[in-house]
Amino acid sequence: MEFLMPVWEFFQNNILTKPQFFIGFIVFIGYLLLQRPIYEAIAGFIKAVVGYMILNVASGGLVGNFRPVLAGLKDRFDLSAAVIDPYFGQAAAQASIENAGRSFSMMMVVLLIAFSINILLVLFRRYTKIRTLFITGHVMVQQSSTALWLVIFCFPQLQDMGVVCMLGVLLGTYWSVGSNLTVEPCQQLTEGGGFATGHQQMFGIWIVSKIAGKIGNKEKSLENLKLPGFLSIFNENVVATGILMFIFFGVIITILGPELMHKIDPSFSANQSFLFFIIEKSFNFAVYLTILQLGVRMFVSELTESFQGISSKILPGSMPAVDCAATYGFGHPNAVTFGFLFGALGQFLAIIGLIVFQSPILIISGFVPLFFDNATFAVFANRLGGLRAAAIIPFVSGIIQVLGGGFAAYFFTTGNFGGWHGNFDWDTLWPVIGVIMNYGQYIGVVAVILILLAIPQIIYYRSKDTYFLIAEDYDQYLEVMEQKKRSAEKLEVTAQKV
Amino acid sequence: MLKVIAACGSGMGSSQIIKMKLEKVFKKLGIEANIYHTNIGDAKSQAANYDVVVCSDSLIGTFANAAAKKVIVIGLKNLLSEKEIEEKVLAKIVNAQ
Repeated sequence: MEFLMPVWEFFQNNILTKPQFFIGFIVFIGYLLLQRPIYEAIAGFIKAVVGYMILNVASGGLVGNFRPVLAGLKDRFDLSAAVIDPYFGQAAAQASIENAGRSFSMMMVVLLIAFSINILLVLFRRYTKIRTLFITGHVMVQQSSTALWLVIFCFPQLQDMGVVCMLGVLLGTYWSVGSNLTVEPCQQLTEGGGFATGHQQMFGIWIVSKIAGKIGNKEKSLENLKLPGFLSIFNENVVATGILMFIFFGVIITILGPELMHKIDPSFSANQSFLFFIIEKSFNFAVYLTILQLGVRMFVSELTESFQGISSKILPGSMPAVDCAATYGFGHPNAVTFGFLFGALGQFLAIIGLIVFQSPILIISGFVPLFFDNATFAVFANRLGGLRAAAIIPFVSGIIQVLGGGFAAYFFTTGNFGGWHGNFDWDTLWPVIGVIMNYGQYIGVVAVILILLAIPQIIYYRSKDTYFLIAEDYDQYLEVMEQKKRSAEKLEVTAQKV
Repeated sequence: MLKVIAACGSGMGSSQIIKMKLEKVFKKLGIEANIYHTNIGDAKSQAANYDVVVCSDSLIGTFANAAAKKVIVIGLKNLLSEKEIEEKVLAKIVNAQ
């Protein structure tokens, strides 16, 4: 066996610990397994490797651009700060993982194990009651990154093999259970559209579907509202990020003052105006975010495509869980803007609260949670509870995002690198899971997995006859529901007679 | 060869779903096409270079200029419904020619 050692060492030094090549080879092997021609496999390999390297440049850029501002805040106010956004969160998680001397390659292994667990849970759906397969590739990458840091944070001694196996099972369970929870709300919204949500606010959607009808009145919907036209500029990612970052970093850098910035940020040249320095600094974030998304898109599109292939080939009857934006077509365009606005209002208020109560961490609004979470909530809320619910729910969600994200960035120390994941489930459910893991250790992890797995069972026992029907045949589901309603009315009538 | 671009908010999730569904529908209808996917801002500035833009109904307003320049703009309600995509492709591309 001696002769294998150098081979293993070569593999470890050049591939296993180099995420770009590791991901590249996984894509390459995946293509060969799918029996695609060799030239396509090579093209896939190159796109995956280059995509990852682009992502690396951008992550480094994001963290690097933020570093002087973080140093200034630490120096002047003893504050740390985090942008709550999954891309910033991913960059901060990667920096934290590498800072702890671990390899970020594990992220990809975690993703593959978690996806396999989801497939297994769907395959055995008679027992597990899981109906959905999570196939939103870029979200899977972001969540694997953040969750990987959580596990390394809570189990610093655990070997790589243990980390990826344990987290793979945990994350795969979350993907399955979370997306499965959105089946009913999504079918009601889309009238049997045949998809569920596999994104970052799945527990949030479920909660909204439970409370929206109680908060408002669905007859008073926001369709009649006329919103100012300028709001449409927020549809564009680059514009929205540029504006958000300019507001936040404008205020922060102005408070830090030009003198300090000259000292701590070498990119601020002596003859540049302070205003244009701030603009450049803020827009830099939009630059790196755009680059990051380009990189992610390049290597993730290969992934998503094969996931979609798997889901339609080997899992007929299962429901794909996709990007939350797929629901937007079923809500009035006003709902999307409305959610964003009220989410922003909630977030800004909570951020002012953090400052007033002298929190040790400052939170900066990121575009993705602000827009995508709250717009999704508003679409569901408007359908079930009208205008009132579509205003109140995103507003409260905005507050929760800031407080939960602030806690997480502080507790799990990603604030040192300026970011936290920041989407709704990652400001609520995941910090709780993280804390349970931190104090409960292995028992905590087992407990979390068991509790998650119990959720679909409970829902199944409450609606045995329609549970699978709603996912497989919506028209028949409606019929069954109608019959149930009629027989319930009949019962009532006979009861009154008696 | 038709040049098609699918667009969504961040150009990551939904637009790729549209792209994959379009590929299926085009294959079924025997239409040859190159399909790309990207974010809404990008798609807006490049729309004139494409024959067809496909996006969610909620974003269709972004492409008013492109539509005026005879780019075919298709808005979808259910991004995953091959039936809806097929109907709209038939109406706007196949039968319009």
